[in-house]
This record gives sequence, structure tokens and C-alpha cells, in this order.
Amino acid sequence: MLKCKEVVEKADALVDGTPLHWRERVALRLHLLMCHHCRRYVRQLGALVTSLHKPAAPPASDEQVDRIMRNLDQAP
Amino acid sequence: MDIEAPDFLARLQQGDNAAFAELVQHQHHRLLATARSMLSHADAEEAVQDAWIAIHRAIGKFEGRSQLRTWLTRIVINQARMMLRKQGREIQFDPSSEEDPLAHRFREGGHWQDGPRHWDLDGPDALLTRDELRQCMAKCLERMPESQRLVLELRDLQGMDFDAICNMLDVSASNVRVLLHRARARLFELVDHFQETGEC
Repeated sequence: MLKCKEVVEKADALVDGTPLHWRERVALRLHLLMCHHCRRYVRQLGALVTSLHKPAAPPASDEQVDRIMRNLDQAP
Repeated sequence: MDIEAPDFLARLQQGDNAAFAELVQHQHHRLLATARSMLSHADAEEAVQDAWIAIHRAIGKFEGRSQLRTWLTRIVINQARMMLRKQGREIQFDPSSEEDPLAHRFREGGHWQDGPRHWDLDGPDALLTRDELRQCMAKCLERMPESQRLVLELRDLQGMDFDAICNMLDVSASNVRVLLHRARARLFELVDHFQETGEC
């Protein structure tokens, strides 16, 4: 039986959808069936990771683009 | 705009300045955020400026073996590392020197001593809709080791591919996994504490 600490270490793979060996997957699922703390950890970690994802960065302003393009011309 | 489109890359490689300006317009802020996870604001600006010069010079030789977005990021990271070296600093990607941020939450036998609190998750964005929590997270990110912040920025904030991150940083997959786990664990601790106390 996995320890909670080991489940927490493997929770990132679950959240990321990283393929796990079937033995590992079964051991994790079994543990999660029995442990509400770890279930909560995995669920909330998933929510945290989802909330971090940034939409595409806003485009640079015309001034920023002009400055960079001028720098290209002036570069030695 | 799709910077990975073959006809856009062809324009860039033919020296089309309008295409390059479009690339700058769409990628500058993302690259700045990447550099910012390794450097101060002013140094990040300078590193990305220098990176654009390097990109402009080398774009003709880009062979398309990775996504253009990955190639641009790698150049920015190299530029930022060069700047750090000039300052006598180096980012440590070896995670062995630090304990897991959640280690104190477990009993000796490896089971929870102090389980996670229940978080209020109303809707997918509810966690970060509170300004106070966003500010706490920004502070937590500032205090995080650069290696953890960079991996978190590339993977969770920008959604980059895991293997691309390992290649870009030239760091083993197992080390990147540990760094990502620790960065997330720090944020988890912070949110957990915030949910309980309403404070950072």
C-alpha cells in the first residue's frame, strides 16, 4: 500500500496525464479510494494547476516593437 | 496568428522585416515573462532585447527541429543564463539540496499528519479570482528558487511540452519533475494556508 507522501509525489503525474505503469496506476487508484486526504490533495492540485494557466500573452505595443526593430538595425 | 505556420517561417527566413515585427509583437511578452522568472525586471528587459538580436541573426539557420516557440524560448534562456554568469551567478537545477515543501505535513510513517483543508472551488477560475490570494501567490513566486519558478512558468503558466522543457534547459526529466513538484507544492501550501486563515 502506498504511503500518502508517495501519492503526493506522484500526484503531479496524475494531474498532467503522464502515462504511468499499470501497477503504479492501480496502486494510486486503490490508495485514493481509501484516503480522503489524498483525494482532496489530487483534486485541489488539479484545480490549482488549471488556474495557473495563462491565456496567450497580450501583444507587445507598437512602441515596444519599434524599439526592438530599431535595435536590430543598430546592433553591431 | 500561428507562428508555427510554414509560410510564416519562410517569410522570416527570407528576411521579411514585417514578419519579424509580427513575431516580436506576439512573442515579446511571453519571452519577457520567461526571462523575468530568472532575472530582475531590468535585466530581463535587457536579456530579451539581446535575444531578439540573436534570433534575428540566427533565424535563417533555424532548421525546424523543434517548434519555433521552443527555439525562441531556448535563446532567451541562454541569454538570461549568460547574463547571470556575468554577475557570477548560476541557476541550480539540482533539486537534491532542498526538502519537499510539504514534508512537514506528514507523520514519520509517511501518512498525512495534517491533511489538506477544503478549498472553495466555485468554478474553474475561482481560486485566483481573489486579489489577496493573487498577491500572495506573486510574493510566493518571487521567493521561489529561480529553477522552480522557471519550470513552473514554462510548464504551468505557458503550457509548454514537458520534453521540450527538459531539452531547453538541458536538465534530466527526473530533475524537472522534482522542480515542478516542489514549485506546485509551495503554491499548494500557500493556498491551503490562505483558505484557512485568509492570509499569506
